[in-house]
Amino acid sequence: MDIAGKDATIEPEKGNENPVNYCATNMSSDWPLNDNYLPNTSVGMIPRGNSIMESSACSSAPMVDSFCPLIWDQPVSEQNRGYCHVNIQNNARTSDSFGPSAGTGWIPDTMLRDDMFLPTVQGMVPQSLPQLPSDSGFIERAARFSCFSGGNFGDMMNPFSVPEYLNSYSGMLASVQGQHEVFAGDGTKLNTTESSKEASLPLVYGTEGSPLKNEKMRECLPCSREEAQQGVCTLANDSDEAEFSSRGDQEELEGSPRESSGKGVESKKRKGTEQSTALNVNNRALKPSAKTAKDDAEIQNKDDLNPTTSKPSGKHGKKGLQWPDLPKEEYIRVRARRGQATNSHSLAERLRRERISERMKFLQDLVPGCSKITGKAVMLDEIINYVQSLQRQVEFLSMKLATVNPWLNFSIEGLLTKDIFQSRIGSSSSLGFPPDVTIPYPPPHQTPPGLIQPDLSSLANSSNALRRSINSPFTPAFRESTSQAPSMWEDELHNVVQMGISSSAHLSSQDLSGSLPPRHIKAEP
Amino acid sequence: MKARTGYSTSLKQEFLKKWIKGIRIYSNFKKDMNILERKKAIKLSADLAIASTRNASTRWSRTLTANISKNETNKIFVEQIFSDSEVIKKEAPSRLMARSNRIASKKIWRRSHITQIKARKMGPYAVKARSIAKKLVKNRTKVLKSLVPGGENMDGISLIKETLDYIVSLRVQVDVMRRLASAAENSTRSL
Repeated sequence: MDIAGKDATIEPEKGNENPVNYCATNMSSDWPLNDNYLPNTSVGMIPRGNSIMESSACSSAPMVDSFCPLIWDQPVSEQNRGYCHVNIQNNARTSDSFGPSAGTGWIPDTMLRDDMFLPTVQGMVPQSLPQLPSDSGFIERAARFSCFSGGNFGDMMNPFSVPEYLNSYSGMLASVQGQHEVFAGDGTKLNTTESSKEASLPLVYGTEGSPLKNEKMRECLPCSREEAQQGVCTLANDSDEAEFSSRGDQEELEGSPRESSGKGVESKKRKGTEQSTALNVNNRALKPSAKTAKDDAEIQNKDDLNPTTSKPSGKHGKKGLQWPDLPKEEYIRVRARRGQATNSHSLAERLRRERISERMKFLQDLVPGCSKITGKAVMLDEIINYVQSLQRQVEFLSMKLATVNPWLNFSIEGLLTKDIFQSRIGSSSSLGFPPDVTIPYPPPHQTPPGLIQPDLSSLANSSNALRRSINSPFTPAFRESTSQAPSMWEDELHNVVQMGISSSAHLSSQDLSGSLPPRHIKAEP
Repeated sequence: MKARTGYSTSLKQEFLKKWIKGIRIYSNFKKDMNILERKKAIKLSADLAIASTRNASTRWSRTLTANISKNETNKIFVEQIFSDSEVIKKEAPSRLMARSNRIASKKIWRRSHITQIKARKMGPYAVKARSIAKKLVKNRTKVLKSLVPGGENMDGISLIKETLDYIVSLRVQVDVMRRLASAAENSTRSL
């Protein structure tokens, strides 16, 4: 189901590098980066006429803005690539990367791969789609699209006969929300009433002659809360219906065809189809394929069973990992790409893979030396090594501390000194303790005097050592700060001793931070 | 960058304070520990401190605290350190297990089915390569799960998130410990 077989895998995050076509380096790896639609791929516009809108840009708003009006004039090519589902995180990037490329107005054929979707300029929509309602209305609707009920997959209309409206839709959606959303459910709804839609939809675009294959599916997938910032829609039928009902006039256009669709869809699905039909306004030739019809029925059944579990059921295909119980309210719509299986399972898996790859990218920044690694297996290996090394370091350091300080009476003072050294030498991110901080401590408890002796001695030693080291010839700037320091050491020493003595000394962060004088030494990178 | 540094600095401060407090409490508990006990005390306090900086919001911190509290002697120690109830019991695994069993059987069917489909579509070699890669990833995920405390019952996405958080905390821990160690070493050396 994955487009691993295809050579165009796009990494969503790499938009700025103009990744027209990313070949998945690890096709065999379970890391289908190409699944993410690549908002930042510089999707050019398809020149002329029929061919093309194969490259589907990500439906990011920025992309829409920069899109060339040429797109609309060209009939949608039959090879609907489908949408890359919106990657929420790629919003900013797509906008950046899209600007330059969109200006050309030509989509390189290479871009026309599965996951490209042409973004449409908002402004363009009204030109080419007279029937389209005003952009604002459409956008508004698009904005609600994120809340599709899941599972209505099935006959996705051919996205590329659809691409126009999809583009505009996605573009508007993105523009409205400034965020990528994964569209799902639209397609499913559309599919249900495709036949009827075709008749009724006053699509302006010339659709390609070849029948659209419903290879793409839109499906609402539950998305994690953090990822669905704006576009998260509740899966609940109520919410969908509410949204649908709030749609603009376009819905009404579609309303009748939707209603007349032969399938016994549930009410929510009907509403969903309304939404999708809104999208379909631009889409002229939605031809349900037998396959999609079957899928749709299947999906409907699934939805019938339990809308909230459609996502979990979709996740069965996950290899060895379980999908958590996502909150039922949040779903992401995912659009399948051309050549991919369009059932809920695969879409859910694709979404999951995207999430994993997103997080892997964070890890890449965190784990040193992983910037060049692409591939889950290798990355995981690096991560494991890093975690193991960190854990071993902790063990080693704790042993070292045990040997260095037999009394276990570490003092803040020692750390402050260390901090001074670090800050003066210019190392990164000091602890932030100023040398002359005065630490107010609660009055010491009654403790056996014997305990004080070792503390005092060690502390005195350490403070002497610190003072000596401080007064050693360092930079003059250091010295001027340390000139004040020695006078403070005594106070600190007393404080620290008190701290050491009282077992219940409560070091409050407020105390420390509050007592940081403005002239503290801090080297911040 | 500034913000991030500020955050990590405050994190280090918080960790340091808690850690030292823990050490002090421990040393008051047991006088005259041998070196191994000291090391254990140090590490324990460090782990508790770094876990508490997360305020039990992450699974690894909860698991870490729970594991430490399993030991009875440690429990008292833990409770004394954290007078505020930060210690949260680990989630009952039973619920997750039930779900996983149910899902596992479906996964098996689905996996076999998908393999067939893919074999037809892509040819045998691609399928094999992909399955090998998947095995690799799966094995490594298993290892990672064993490394990160509390990672056993988590799915891939949450696991990576937890790992991220855990790595950050480990780095803070190592950094502070290293500084303390070198400071203590300097002080003793210059005596």
